[in-house]
Amino acid sequence: MIAIDRLTKDYGTGPVVRDISLSVRPGAFLVLLGPSGCGKSTILRMLAGLEAPTAGTIRFGDRLVAQGGALSLPAEKRGAGLVFQSYALWPHMTVAGNVDWPLKVAGMAAPERRRRVGEALEMMGIAELAGRHTGEISGGQQQRVALARMIAPRPPVMLFDEPLSNLDAALRVEMRHELARIHAETGATSVYVTHDQVEAMTLATDVAVLNRGRIEQFAPPMQLLDQPASAFVARFVGTPPANLVPVRDGAWFGRHPAPQLAGRTGLAMVRAEDLRLTDSPAPGSLPAERIEVIPMAGQWLVTARVEGQRLTAVVPRGTALPDRLHILLPDSSPTIFPEGDPHP
Amino acid sequence: MILPKRLGLTLVVLVPLILLVAAPLLSILGQTLGSAAWSDVLVSRLSRNLTWEPLGNTMILGLGTAIGSLLIGGFFAWLVVMTDVPLARTLGVLATLPFMIPSFATALAWSSLFRNSRTGGSTGMLAGLGFDSPDWLAWGLLPTLFVLIAQYYALVFTVVAAALASLNGDAVEAAEMSGAPRRRILLGIVLPMVTPALLAGASLAFAAAVSNFAAPALMGLPVRMQTLSTRLFGMIEIGQAERGYVLAILLILVSAALLGVGNRLLVGRRSFATISGKGARRHRMKLGRARWPLCCTAMAICFVTTLGPILLLVAASLAPQGSALFSDWTLQFWTGAADPDFARGQAGIFRNPQIVKALVITLGLGVAVAVAAVILGVLAALVLTGPRIRVLTETVNQLSFLPMLLPGIAFGAAFIVLYGAGFGPVPGLYGTPLLLGLALTAASLPFAVQTGRATVAQIAGDIDEAARMTGASFPRRLVAITLPLASRGLIAGALLVFVNVVGDLAIVALLYTPDTPVLSVLSYRYASDGFQQFANAITVVILAISVAATALAQLLKGRRP
Repeated sequence: MIAIDRLTKDYGTGPVVRDISLSVRPGAFLVLLGPSGCGKSTILRMLAGLEAPTAGTIRFGDRLVAQGGALSLPAEKRGAGLVFQSYALWPHMTVAGNVDWPLKVAGMAAPERRRRVGEALEMMGIAELAGRHTGEISGGQQQRVALARMIAPRPPVMLFDEPLSNLDAALRVEMRHELARIHAETGATSVYVTHDQVEAMTLATDVAVLNRGRIEQFAPPMQLLDQPASAFVARFVGTPPANLVPVRDGAWFGRHPAPQLAGRTGLAMVRAEDLRLTDSPAPGSLPAERIEVIPMAGQWLVTARVEGQRLTAVVPRGTALPDRLHILLPDSSPTIFPEGDPHP
Repeated sequence: MILPKRLGLTLVVLVPLILLVAAPLLSILGQTLGSAAWSDVLVSRLSRNLTWEPLGNTMILGLGTAIGSLLIGGFFAWLVVMTDVPLARTLGVLATLPFMIPSFATALAWSSLFRNSRTGGSTGMLAGLGFDSPDWLAWGLLPTLFVLIAQYYALVFTVVAAALASLNGDAVEAAEMSGAPRRRILLGIVLPMVTPALLAGASLAFAAAVSNFAAPALMGLPVRMQTLSTRLFGMIEIGQAERGYVLAILLILVSAALLGVGNRLLVGRRSFATISGKGARRHRMKLGRARWPLCCTAMAICFVTTLGPILLLVAASLAPQGSALFSDWTLQFWTGAADPDFARGQAGIFRNPQIVKALVITLGLGVAVAVAAVILGVLAALVLTGPRIRVLTETVNQLSFLPMLLPGIAFGAAFIVLYGAGFGPVPGLYGTPLLLGLALTAASLPFAVQTGRATVAQIAGDIDEAARMTGASFPRRLVAITLPLASRGLIAGALLVFVNVVGDLAIVALLYTPDTPVLSVLSYRYASDGFQQFANAITVVILAISVAATALAQLLKGRRP
């Protein structure tokens, strides 16, 4: 449904999106995940038609909507819906007015519009707010209005620009479920920009992890967890994310040789659940200093400093945790990523 | 190859900007290129009288006004925004009132008080009380300076008050936490943070004073005190146009130089005052026992600079004797029929067809210019906030703010050169209201564009993009989203343009003809001819119109959308 090929955007100060290619099937939920400044919002704005690509193409189905330097179908002709981080409601219109206006623009007849507005407000559970002005309702309700406004015209492509980042934690979870429901009920192909990997993991059918304008990995969420393609992905994804332990010439931290490292050099991915903690030295254990303990789902998430680096381990609740700990690294052969940035 | 976005709109804006701003300016330069007028004005035996003395007076007035306005405007801003002075809100409104009082009104009011027998005609109130004002008090630099400061401190007040209000409250509280005494906080933290605003306000006051025409013309000419503005006016009036144009260029250079210096000093510091914080919740400085004395001082300044002159003018328009302002009041000068005993047989202003015509033309010009300037301002603002197009966008930016550097008199001169006589198929516009309208529109552009930008910036970005996503075209978004949201601010902006147009004398002074009378010029003519009461009565009419429009603008601004 959405196919991006060799997409590049350069504002004249060096590329912010570099040579991105990916495609998703109709009805997919694509999440663009990455830290701030990775280019994810720029990609979304190019999909929306609010920015023109410098190079590369974007296709919606078999329709070419943008081609670098030659064509960029303006936003108003793409038939995509977009939810803004700031909601961008029109303050001079009522809630119903906000939802209704796009339908009016589309030239729909009044009875059909009334039906759709009612439906969209109903679906978002804000039917009773229809006559209110947008300044008189809470942030969460404004978010629902923004969603209702987007879904009412039934766009085949729905775009979301960090829509949950202005909400408090509890509301964010609730709205995440609403988004999943909207996607399921509309079946529209969706693209969702976020820096929150939990949102990515729970909503996406496909995730593109972005770093400095490039795709680090493009895969379904579970595959990101199981087989991260780079140290960046491993460090970014998962709750808690995996530890990356430097190894040199087959030795942890270059100082503690271990046969399972097989003489290699790089960053070894060690998951929190594969680390063990003891209160006394054991064969192969490294001394560690306890920093922080977070209770989580009946277990403890322990952060400790080893050789000047922080490692996170998950241990059973009630484990003895003195200030001075000893940490046991796994015996199995870990995934080892090359050190340093592959794209300096 | 795709055409840049908004190319059409940019060109639509650029054409009138070139016609209204760039072309007149270039034609003035063209007229003087290689002309002997340059050496006459700069190095001949005439030049001392023609140029250097007026330039000296201009600089004295400019600097004096800048310093005076800074002191008074800064004092008001501090009092209203930073302290617990009583009636702060009222004081804040009072301090902006001078905006709506044209400087010839204050000048006439000063005359009605201090006028002495030097120029003949009726004398002022003090003379009637037996105190014949010395020349230095009645005429020349000092009263001119007073009139200019009385008007332009409002400029400094607005700029500085806005800066103080947006001052980062945390920064001040952090200073308080450090245990610094109040004076230390004021001098060490607050003052440096608002320095950019102080400089900006002062340089605006300087530029405004330098280009002012009414005050030096009414208070200085009777004692042969010339400024560049009055000299330029005189040169063109007596037909030595080229010398006038050279003086116009000098005048432009003087105000441009200072605004340029101000901008240079501001570079990189601009952001200080605009850091947003919880400024509004900052607690105010306790004045203690000084509360009421300071409040009264401020009130007194307001009275002397705004209310007092208005009252004096009203009284002077009713009193048959300038020396006895508050006795024998009569409506003769307003509605009286021609009577040989009064004012050499002149009828009251509402019976004078010339004045009634002027009223109609003035109001018409005000409305037309306000509408035209705001429309152009919004379109320019859309160009400036939209996607940038190489060279073109920057040209729009420069041209729309250039008129700020152009003193009104120089503007008038430039429009006469370019459009007065006509060229090619274009007929000469001299003597038509259109010429006045064009010049006034051009002069109103900086304010109109600023207003447009402020309103458009509030609603540009996400709000507009959200509308684009629905498939709405640019005109449709303009009508349904942008304009409704912007209307309140735009109408308020239009009203203020209207006030400026109605009270303007400098631009129209050269463009006016008996066929196209406007109120301000008639008032000036009557005053120069010694018919003080008529001048005062007309000025009261102008004031009434300005007050009504300003009040309406305040009302619109005050309410939330």
